[in-house]
Amino acid sequence: MSASSPSRLAAFLLPALTAVALILLWYAFKAVLQVPSFVLPAPHEIVAAAWEERTVLWSAALVTVRGALLGFTAAVTVGFLLAMALGFSPRIKTSFYPLILVLQMMPVTILAPIFVLWLGQGLPSIVAITFVIGFFPVVANTTMGFISVDRHLRELFVMCNATRAQEARYLRIPGAMPYFLTGMKIAGTLAPIGAIVGDFLAGSAQGGVGGIGYMTISYFSQLKTPALFATGLVACVMGFLFVGGVNWLHWRLLHSWHDSMVKKE
Amino acid sequence: MDRAMSEAPVVKVSGLRKRFGAGPLVLDGIDLEVARGEFVSFIGPSGCGKSTLLRLIAGLTPASEGSITVEGLAPEQARKRMFFVFQDANLMPWRRVAENVELPLLLRGDAPAPRRERVARMLEIVGLAGAEAKFPWQLSGGMKMRVSIARALSVAPEILLLDEPIGALDEMTRDRLNEDLLAIRSRDPFTGFFVTHAVAEAVFLSSRIVVLGANPGRVTAVIEVPFAYPRQPELRETPPFLRLLATTAQALRAVRVA
Repeated sequence: MSASSPSRLAAFLLPALTAVALILLWYAFKAVLQVPSFVLPAPHEIVAAAWEERTVLWSAALVTVRGALLGFTAAVTVGFLLAMALGFSPRIKTSFYPLILVLQMMPVTILAPIFVLWLGQGLPSIVAITFVIGFFPVVANTTMGFISVDRHLRELFVMCNATRAQEARYLRIPGAMPYFLTGMKIAGTLAPIGAIVGDFLAGSAQGGVGGIGYMTISYFSQLKTPALFATGLVACVMGFLFVGGVNWLHWRLLHSWHDSMVKKE
Repeated sequence: MDRAMSEAPVVKVSGLRKRFGAGPLVLDGIDLEVARGEFVSFIGPSGCGKSTLLRLIAGLTPASEGSITVEGLAPEQARKRMFFVFQDANLMPWRRVAENVELPLLLRGDAPAPRRERVARMLEIVGLAGAEAKFPWQLSGGMKMRVSIARALSVAPEILLLDEPIGALDEMTRDRLNEDLLAIRSRDPFTGFFVTHAVAEAVFLSSRIVVLGANPGRVTAVIEVPFAYPRQPELRETPPFLRLLATTAQALRAVRVA
C-alpha cells in the first residue's frame, strides 16, 4: 500500500522535481536547436516579461476575473433554479431538457459572434459566453440531484404528511447539494477559460485595457512572445484561484456530513 | 385483554390482496383484526410480503383488492396516528441526531421550545442523551436505530410500524434494543406492528405472531403469546418461552417446506 500512496513530502517534492527537470530540458532544447526567443522564449524571459508587463497584466486579469465571476454567478444561479424546475416537474423536464441539450451542442465559437451582434463588444458578451459554458454542468448535475432523492426518505416525509414545500426545503434541496456542488466545481474550472475565450472573441480595450484574452491577441500581433507566454501563466493562476474557491465552498457545505469529505476511522 | 377486545379494532384488514402492476399476487386474502395495545409480529420467509403488508397498513402503497382501516379511517387519513420505523434507520445524513429526531415535529408545525424539550426527552429514553450534535455517520448501527426509534416516538404515535428495524445488527445489540423497546412501550403504550425473520425476537416482543407463507403471501398460522408485559430479559431462558419458540419455529418451517 505504502508504495502506491506517496507521503505528503513526496507529494510536494515529486512534482517540483519533475518541473525542474522539464525546465532544464526546455533550456537544453532551446540551446541545442538555437530556437529564437520570439518562437520559444526561455522560462526566465517569460518571468521577466510578466514582471515588465505587470501593470497591464494585472488590470487585464481583473477584467477577466470580473467577467468570469459574473458569468459563473449567473450560470450557477440560473442553473440551480432551472434544475429545480426540471427536477420537481417531470413534465417541465420532458419539455425543456432536450432543448437545453441542443444549446449545449452549439459550439461557443458560433455563439460568440451572435452574442457580439446582440450585446456588442465587451463585458456583456464576455459574461454571456462564460455563462453558456458554465451553465450546462450546473443544470445537468443539479437536476440529477433533485431527481435521485432517496426513496425511503421520501416515504418518511409521506408518513409525516409533509407538504411539497417542506419536502423541497428539508429533503430535496439539501439532498441535491452534493450534486449541485459537483456542477459548480465543473463550472468553476470552466469560468476563467470561458471569460478568456469570450474576451478573445468579444473583448475590446475601449476605456482602458482589455482582458487576458484581448492581451493575448495584442501580444501575438506585436510578436511579444515572452509576454504572450506570460498571459498563459496568469490564466493558470486565475484557474487555480477559481477552483480553490469552489473547493473551499464545497468543503464548507459538505465536510460535516458527506461521504466525500468525512474521514472514516 | 377483554376490555381491549370489546373495543372496535384499531386496525382491520379484510379480504386484502396486493399485486404490483400486472405482476403476480404478493398478498392473497389477508384478514386481520388488531386491538389497541397489541403487539403483532409478521414473520415469514423472504418474499412472503410481510414488509408489503406493513406498508399497506401505513398507506405507503395502495391495496389491489379488499380493505384496510386504521382507527376506522383509510390508512392515508390515519397517518397522524401512526409512525413508521424503516429498515436501516433511514436517517438524513446532513442533519445532526437532534435534528433528525426533531424532523416530524418540525414538519407538523410544533414551536421550537416544545420541540427541543421533546427531542431531549426522546433521546434520553433511547439512551442517547449527549449525542445530540453528532452526525449519523458518527454513530454505530445500533445507535442509528435508536435515533430512528426516538424520531418515530417523538410524535407519540398510537400505532408504531417497525419494518425489520434491527435485522442488520449483531445479536447482543438486538436483544438490548428489543428490551428497551418493551420498556419504552410500558411507559408510552402504542399498538405495535413488527416485521422480522427472527423467531426469538418475535416471541419476545409480541402478543401475537402472524406467520405468512410465500407465493402468494397468505396467513398460515397465528400464534398467541401469553406472557404478560412488562417482560424481563430472563423470560428468554424459561421453559414456556422456549416451548413457544419451538412452536413458532415449526410453524415457520412448515411454511418453508410447503
